[in-house]
Amino acid sequence: MSDVSIYRLGFVLLLSSGLAMPLIAAPLDEALKPLPAIAVLDPAKVELGRQLFNEPRLSVNNTLSCASCHHLETSGADDKAFSLGFDGKPVPLNTPTVFNASLNFKQFWDGRVDTLQAQVEHVVISPLEMGSDWKTVVQNLSALPAYRNAFKQTYTDGVTAANVQDALATYERTLLTPNSRFDQYLLGNTEILTIQEKYGYQRFKDYGCIACHQGVNIGGNMFQKFGVMGDYFKARGNPLESDLGRYLLTQDEEDRHVFKVPSLRNVAVTAPYFHDASAKTLEEAVDVMFKYQLGRTPSQEDKDLIIQFLKTLTGEWAGKPL
Amino acid sequence: MSRSSRMSRRRISQLLLGVITLLLVSTLVFLYLKSSRDQTASYTQSRDLIRQLQQLNAQWDSEVLKARIAITHNYDPLVTPLAEMTRLWADLQSRDTYHNPVDLPRWRTSQETYQAAIQEKARLVDQFKSHNAVLRNSLAFLPTAEDDIQAQFNEIDDEGRLRLQGVATDTYDLLLSSLEFAQVTSDERAADILVGLGKLAINKESLPSDFQAPVELLSNHISLILREQPLVNSLLERIAAVPVAERLDELTTHLNQDQQTADLVDHQYHRYLLVFSTLLVVLLLYLAVRLLRSFAEINRVNRALQAANETLEQRVERRTQQLKDAQSELMDSARQAGMAEIATNVLHNVGNVLNSVNISADLVARTLRNSKAQGLGKAMQLLNEHPGDLGTFLTEDAKGKLLPGYLNQLVGAIALEQQGMADELTQLSKSVDHIKDIVSTQQSYAGASSLLEPVDIGALMDDALRMNAGALSRHHVTVVKEYAQVPQILGDKHRLLLIMVNLISNAKYAMTGLSDRPRQMTLTVLPGADDTLKISVKDDGEGIPPENMIRIFSHGFTTRKEGHGFGLHSCALAAVEMNGQLSAHSDGPGRGAVFTLTIPLTHAGTTP
Repeated sequence: MSDVSIYRLGFVLLLSSGLAMPLIAAPLDEALKPLPAIAVLDPAKVELGRQLFNEPRLSVNNTLSCASCHHLETSGADDKAFSLGFDGKPVPLNTPTVFNASLNFKQFWDGRVDTLQAQVEHVVISPLEMGSDWKTVVQNLSALPAYRNAFKQTYTDGVTAANVQDALATYERTLLTPNSRFDQYLLGNTEILTIQEKYGYQRFKDYGCIACHQGVNIGGNMFQKFGVMGDYFKARGNPLESDLGRYLLTQDEEDRHVFKVPSLRNVAVTAPYFHDASAKTLEEAVDVMFKYQLGRTPSQEDKDLIIQFLKTLTGEWAGKPL
Repeated sequence: MSRSSRMSRRRISQLLLGVITLLLVSTLVFLYLKSSRDQTASYTQSRDLIRQLQQLNAQWDSEVLKARIAITHNYDPLVTPLAEMTRLWADLQSRDTYHNPVDLPRWRTSQETYQAAIQEKARLVDQFKSHNAVLRNSLAFLPTAEDDIQAQFNEIDDEGRLRLQGVATDTYDLLLSSLEFAQVTSDERAADILVGLGKLAINKESLPSDFQAPVELLSNHISLILREQPLVNSLLERIAAVPVAERLDELTTHLNQDQQTADLVDHQYHRYLLVFSTLLVVLLLYLAVRLLRSFAEINRVNRALQAANETLEQRVERRTQQLKDAQSELMDSARQAGMAEIATNVLHNVGNVLNSVNISADLVARTLRNSKAQGLGKAMQLLNEHPGDLGTFLTEDAKGKLLPGYLNQLVGAIALEQQGMADELTQLSKSVDHIKDIVSTQQSYAGASSLLEPVDIGALMDDALRMNAGALSRHHVTVVKEYAQVPQILGDKHRLLLIMVNLISNAKYAMTGLSDRPRQMTLTVLPGADDTLKISVKDDGEGIPPENMIRIFSHGFTTRKEGHGFGLHSCALAAVEMNGQLSAHSDGPGRGAVFTLTIPLTHAGTTP
């Protein structure tokens, strides 16, 4: 083939590719990162995890499933301030959303475990939550032929605690909420946000919210002391043990009132806020953050803009907006 | 040695051979597996994993520094290296690389120290993230806070501003000190800032209420900087001090050492394999040599066998020749024996005839001695005494008158005597003729070679009978002749006569024990098919049992006490020599036998 024809071919290819493909805007290089695509995982494991997610046999008295507190149809969290344990008593901390939990660097408010598997393990045996033990859970699940078969087909060693945890973790990895307007914005569709929302994002960055709420999950990648610029708990009153955060785990003074920074994805639908569910509305939460975390006094307008921005972080699940 | 124990020993040796083979093969496989185990790859992979860990660690460090100087707000890069390192570490742990059992505890210890280090580093990095985030926020806010305060200053009138100039300067200084402190953290600056904060707190009291809030904010943030900056710095130092890289280097060193040890072992196994393979090759060569040798041995034995075979053949040939010679000798002796038999017969017959000759001669001699001719002499004497009166005497004398009658009687007696003697002499002459016949017959056969001459079979048969005549008559054997009209043939007279004499003799002997019925022998001459002549001798004698039938012509076979056993054998041979055949048939013991000689019928006068 001659050089001329190569050039001609290249030109034709260039033309055709340019014509055939829609113009894709370059993703924005921001400290906030767009949601990654949902990983393609073993469908059998995902389905098994989905069944287990709705399986009350995980709790000691067959009353609670994961879905009892993580309402996937609404927010992936509980609408109650404190979910009720198997015994009907409220748990000490507000239930975080399961959506995008796989993007958090650690699990639980105090970040005591690194993996979703470990999170499942803890919740099942927690005397305040499901109150069961893994031996019983495995026994109960093994008693059902459907589970026995499903596990046998999916895992070589059948129903085991590790396999139950793995199936649930696999399912939870699929619980991402893509296609939020802000994600579309980050992916280059800058027209999708209103000017107000864009200003809101600007304020979000200017005031320093972004110092903690950044990255792919807009939070969820670091610990932070609740009350950097003031004693929130003193102001709130009625200090509880659960307010101590990671301190309960490490007994390190450094970790007093330290919690995992929660993700702001879907924040508009996950009220109430904070570990103690003390903020019933987004406005309240933003106020608390400004006062105790940022040590700033924003204008009402800025707060409104920021809240408008925060509402663009709501994504979709199962094809429907949350 | 008994057969079963030999078998069991063979089985044991087979078993032993099998076990040895199995042993050798498994040793070879073991050594091969041991030496072919490619450990280098796994060590390389492990080292590669550690190298990746080191890279991630370095990347982590650099991300920490980037966060420190606020290049980025995104803290994900401070999380992902650890996640990746955890994954790689699990991968490394799952590899069963380490082999040296002596060094294994130290390897484990190194791994544990690494994990402790990485956990410590992760903890410090988490703390760094928290502190750095708020510190960066406050530092970023300082200019804004200052601007806010300056804005407040600008709000108030010149007089007030003049009054508050000191405060503004102080605030500004504090701001600068704080920013400087962020760059160079030292105790003096910290003290300066602390003094500045004190001043600001005092100044705040004297400021208008509008100033209270911004100043408060500023002082809060500066306090935070004062608090957090050393913390962040110390965290950075502590993070840098966490010996993650050193631990990884240590692990690499351990791996290298272990690989060297493993390589040493590997080389050792290679050597073992080499030595073992050499041994095996030597063994195989030895076996091959043994095999070749045994092939050579087999070939040699084969050749020897072949040679022995050839010698044997030659010997057989020689022996056969000797046997042939012996046979011909035997034939000769048989012939001579045959001739002796013929001679015996002849002599016997001759003896018999001589007896009658003797008797005849004796009779004649006695007749002559007692002859009546003597009476004639006496008569003549009487006559001579009366020479003149012969007449008177004859007529008158008493004696003379009897003389003529006496003479007449004498003449009759002498005539009778002569007649008897003549008869006797005729008989004598006949006997002599018979002897002459026998002798001439014998002379005509003795020493005769295989000469074909015209033979009258009937005459030949009669000759044979004549030779046995004495014995036949002695044994009261009746001979029945059934001769068909056969022309003269060309034949071996001697052999034919030998056969016939023998057959007749045998027939005679076969009927020796016969007392209940007349002994009858039937001689038949009959032309057969295809120009053959069948001559058979049939007897009513003892017959031949079937078991003897097959060996009746064998050399040395006889049923007679005095027999030598080659009469029939030589007959059969003679028959074959004449291109003929001698066969026997019997209906069984006591029912007689027929011997039939079949010879080619060649008319005399035609050339054979």
